[in-house]
Amino acid sequence: MKLQKNTLNMSAVLLGCFFLVAVIMPLLQMFAACWQADVGKIFANPLVLQGICNSVCVSLTATIFSVTLALLLAWCLRRTGVRGKSLFQVLLLLPMLVPSISHGMGLVIIFGANGRLSNLLGLDGGIYGFWGIVLGSVMYSFPVAYLMLSDVLQYEDYTPYEAAAVLGLPRRSVLAVITLPYLSKPLLNVIFATFTMVITDYGVPLMVGGRYKTLPVIMYEEVIGRLDFAQGSVLGLLLLLPAVAAFLIDMFCRGRVGAGFVSRPFVVRRSPARDCLAYVILGAVSLAVVYPLLSFVQLSVASRYPRDMSFTWHNITATLDKGALTYLGNSVAIAVAVGLIGTAAAFICAYLTVRMPCRGGKFLHLMAIISLAVPGIVLGLAYVMFFKGSFIYGTMVVLVLVNIIHFFSSPYLLMYNSLGKLNPNLEAVGATLGISRLRLIKDVIMPQTVGTLLEMFVYFFVNSMMTISAVAFLANAKTRPLSLMINQFEAQTLLEAAAFVSLLILVVNLALKGCVYILKKLLQMHDRRNVYD
Amino acid sequence: MELLSINGISKRLGGQTVLENVSFQVRSGEFLSILGASGCGKTTLLRIIIGLTPPDSGTISLGGCDITNRPPNERRMGIVFQNYALFENMTVLRNVEYAMRLRPELRATSRQVAMDLLEQLGLAEHARKYPAQLSGGQMQRVAIARTLALRPSVILFDEPMSALDVAARLALREELKRIQRQSGATMLYVTHDQEEAFAMSDRIMVMGAGGQIHQLAAPAEILQNPADDYVRCFVLDNLQTKIALLLQYAVK
Repeated sequence: MKLQKNTLNMSAVLLGCFFLVAVIMPLLQMFAACWQADVGKIFANPLVLQGICNSVCVSLTATIFSVTLALLLAWCLRRTGVRGKSLFQVLLLLPMLVPSISHGMGLVIIFGANGRLSNLLGLDGGIYGFWGIVLGSVMYSFPVAYLMLSDVLQYEDYTPYEAAAVLGLPRRSVLAVITLPYLSKPLLNVIFATFTMVITDYGVPLMVGGRYKTLPVIMYEEVIGRLDFAQGSVLGLLLLLPAVAAFLIDMFCRGRVGAGFVSRPFVVRRSPARDCLAYVILGAVSLAVVYPLLSFVQLSVASRYPRDMSFTWHNITATLDKGALTYLGNSVAIAVAVGLIGTAAAFICAYLTVRMPCRGGKFLHLMAIISLAVPGIVLGLAYVMFFKGSFIYGTMVVLVLVNIIHFFSSPYLLMYNSLGKLNPNLEAVGATLGISRLRLIKDVIMPQTVGTLLEMFVYFFVNSMMTISAVAFLANAKTRPLSLMINQFEAQTLLEAAAFVSLLILVVNLALKGCVYILKKLLQMHDRRNVYD
Repeated sequence: MELLSINGISKRLGGQTVLENVSFQVRSGEFLSILGASGCGKTTLLRIIIGLTPPDSGTISLGGCDITNRPPNERRMGIVFQNYALFENMTVLRNVEYAMRLRPELRATSRQVAMDLLEQLGLAEHARKYPAQLSGGQMQRVAIARTLALRPSVILFDEPMSALDVAARLALREELKRIQRQSGATMLYVTHDQEEAFAMSDRIMVMGAGGQIHQLAAPAEILQNPADDYVRCFVLDNLQTKIALLLQYAVK
């Protein structure tokens, strides 16, 4: 019994040290570098000032469009009677499975100088710049905003609406008195999260920004191009600000969402006209999502897109000859390692903070969720500065580590919530019956949270497959993951290869999601069979 | 004969004194209820007795042995919680036999013992079901069977019927008394329900704020000679109000 407790205490200490080395020290190193920078000179640089201005403008615009679209879609799928909701949901979430840089590329393919639609509509290929970034950022961020809002609408309690009906409140007041107050906090949260996502992303502006440079692109060029770490750190600190604000707002709103239990799910009334409108919106957005992905397929197998659309394997074999398979191997290896280690670490961390109130619990919890406030690009820079010269630098290990930290908080919070829902007396019963904690975790806790464990693995895996922000600073020719090839191929004007690489990432992610979906269904069936035996 | 002896237990939690110098004895084979208002420290006392929470001072002895520093599973005690705390991923049968299977000396007979217990508690037909398919009363029976499986000499109950409806409560009351007679186990029952305490107990301990013991006596004794105003007010007035209300309705 003593030994068991020591094992858990030991893992708490180990996790604490892990966070110290993998989160705190790299960030401190980056902050320290800011002191050496000539801040006055950096902010006197018109390029930087313009970058800040560009970033804010583009992110504000994209956030407004993205959140409005997300709200509209959430309404379509949660408050109307359309059929095939799960199909639409899958389509709407497809953009979450490809890197942000691919969204930028999709725009180039469609609206670029030689694009399908620009030829069709007689556009002059002026996608590069402000509107290109806005469009790409909306594509990249609306599924996330949609997921958050869809959850909020799904768990809205219908009883107040019934009470309003009984009281005879007019529709307008119902909106003002019930719906808007309910939505206000979550909406604020979604707006900040989306803004942060867009302003810290550099995949889209790198691809379609052209001369319109945003802060992350400038930072990337400073660090990778000119190795000016001091200036990079200052810009990184700047990018940290919106992320920290979003983080604080999220903490502030979290207590509210999901805290109340649903006493009655929302009832959708019949209204063919409204459903028709919803079909139109969903159809249009689905088309806009699928069209770029289809054009990736076309580009990959067409002889000379868009003039000669005859089928050829040549583009694909040429991409494979350039080492795509090796890089795919790197990506999958990293993603599997991040998935396994990350899931295990997040599970242990959540178990310690939820079910074993110990002295360091608060610290562990803060460390586990802090990655929400650190953009990948900032984390990547901090890692370069801290780990340069160490034995893990230039190996897969550092890539795995940075991804685990970068994506830690969401899976951690998933498990945190799941474990919080389990009976609080399980450990007490175990102690009185002589069942050790480790035994209890293996036989009782883990079987009850297996669904969450799978979701955590998927989250780590999918995000590791498509991330470019943190790893761009850390990968070398040998360890480079596939997602970074998109940028490189595009720079060499090998759009076909870049499109094929994007597709490869999508296919791998879809395959994993499909496998896990089937696995979950099998587990459910297994449970049900046992129950009704 | 005294089985369990609680001597001068004190406990502070979060800067507040929850229990102060609490002492009492539990006789072998008796059904003793600890009756008190919410927040008077009943549950903390129970957790200290079984070893889930260490006391700040004081000792606990069982059958003359000091067990204050022993881990919960070496105290020959079991506990039943209000919210059942069943293992949701295991069948009823598995819930009952699981702890026995982990002990080499009990493993061989675990299936038989578990089935017998389920039979006794009227759960045999539900053996292959999962907790989620049972009613509250049935779940609490499973929790009791799981506790009985290790043959504890003292069983602690932490408001086990609070989550049950009236019919299930009445049925389970009878069941508990029967189990006590059959197994001869000593039972320590925490509740805030006067009626429940008076219906089941050999003796009742009335507890006030800070773990102050106002009276420890047989139900009849408490009814006839309440020790102080607190007992009169908390126990008797409440009971009498209930009875008066019932009579009123009966007359109507």
